[in-house]
Amino acid sequence: MTGLVYKEWKQNRWYILSMILCGFLPLIAVLLFRSESPEHLDSLRIVGMLAGFLAAGALQIMVLRGDDRKLWGYWITAAPDGYRGFLRVKYEMIYGMILLFLLSMQMTDGLYCAVAADLGMTDAADISGIAVPLVFVQTLLRAVDIPFYYRFGSKTGSIIKMIGMVVLAIVISVALMFLMDSWDSVTALAKKLFTGYSSSLLLAGMLAAIPAVYVLSYRITCRLYLKGVEQYDK
Amino acid sequence: MTNKQENAKRLAIYLLIVAASSVLPFFCMKWMQASETAFFLAAEVFCATPALASLITRAVTKEGFRDMKLHLHLKGNIRYYVLAFALSLFCTALMYVPEIILQGHADWLSGFTLTNVLTAVLMLAAQGAVMSAGLLGEELGWRGYMNRKLEPLVGIIGTVLIGGVVWSLWHMPSDMQLYLAGKESFSEAMQTVGGRLLWMPGYAAFYLWLTKKTDSVWPAVLAHAMGNASQSSIMGLLSQGNIPDNADLGSGMLQFVPTILMAVVFTALLLRDQKKAPKTV
Repeated sequence: MTGLVYKEWKQNRWYILSMILCGFLPLIAVLLFRSESPEHLDSLRIVGMLAGFLAAGALQIMVLRGDDRKLWGYWITAAPDGYRGFLRVKYEMIYGMILLFLLSMQMTDGLYCAVAADLGMTDAADISGIAVPLVFVQTLLRAVDIPFYYRFGSKTGSIIKMIGMVVLAIVISVALMFLMDSWDSVTALAKKLFTGYSSSLLLAGMLAAIPAVYVLSYRITCRLYLKGVEQYDK
Repeated sequence: MTNKQENAKRLAIYLLIVAASSVLPFFCMKWMQASETAFFLAAEVFCATPALASLITRAVTKEGFRDMKLHLHLKGNIRYYVLAFALSLFCTALMYVPEIILQGHADWLSGFTLTNVLTAVLMLAAQGAVMSAGLLGEELGWRGYMNRKLEPLVGIIGTVLIGGVVWSLWHMPSDMQLYLAGKESFSEAMQTVGGRLLWMPGYAAFYLWLTKKTDSVWPAVLAHAMGNASQSSIMGLLSQGNIPDNADLGSGMLQFVPTILMAVVFTALLLRDQKKAPKTV
């Protein structure tokens, strides 16, 4: 296992370390554009955070690059840790990257708030409240991306995933259109679900389920990996 | 140099760095009180010093960076991760709830409904998954380095007690922060320090046991994070009840019972495991 960790570090260390830089983006956004809109520094930070979130997501996917090769697939399956060990290290590394991104963003944000307080800007608010839910979204997105990548390879996987997303969007839109007639009862149900304690229970349940979904994604990828290997390089 | 001497030398260097990090904030307190930025930077560096100290010691003594217990070792160890989460939360609840009931204020616990408790537990589980990594700054040092150097020198009981005391005393700058800011009397500050000295060895035993069982510092990281986060979670549940503003929570001796019990139980388990372990020449 240590060998696999070493291999991933040697191959992907710049992607891993770039997570720290992505966490700096809210601060960089403020430093670059503060003169253009000095009244909207908090909005600039949020935009910077979203940019960091997107950049970090793209970089997390980059660490999978080059794994969709038949020869590598056969070789790692025959290695002592097997393809399961290889996939486990990949999943752990990507999760680690997500946590590094969050840690970097929180530290940068904390530093910004401290400096702002020293400068007398008492209205500088902590953006961690938005960053943490975004990190859960990022974990969920990776839990979806990785199985597609290993089952169908880089190009086909992203096309199939996109088709899946479009189909899902169409299904949701159609469902919403059918629900138009009983819209009031749907909104009443939604309000009931998202008000008071029930909303926090629902939210807490959803957030707690995401790490479990990530683990489930690993198990699914393990099941699909060998089927995927047969299709690589075609 | 024998192994014991080598261990003692490494431990001395490690403790020296950690002690320096604990003393330094007292000298910088004025500067930290005057500037939020200075306070933030000092606090961030301070929180990571146990890990930094272990890395520096490894580099200085040429010990190398192998076997830092950073593998997750999830396979076959999920139960220890679950225990790390659940016991920390349960222990924090036991520090407050029985005392409130025994004082005849059971009505203060009206916020502990099934929905609220479930919400708190799920939220802590979610938090634990993403927010605990920061505690590596402490655990890599205490459990990942100090305990392993202490154990061959002073045995299990010594490691729990000395390790717990060192860990407690390292927190002194944060415990005395209010006193140094003039917002608390010296005796109040000493009560906080003394209280920590009483309950930290319990956690030290639990975290040592987790680390040895899983050969990883991550369960200890999770347990530590849950120990911290569950305090505010329990307070949040209490605040949802009919609790008076001036209520005195967790001030009695009863709050130390769960951690003292934890110290006894996990030290006994550690000693049992040590007896079972095959002897090497």
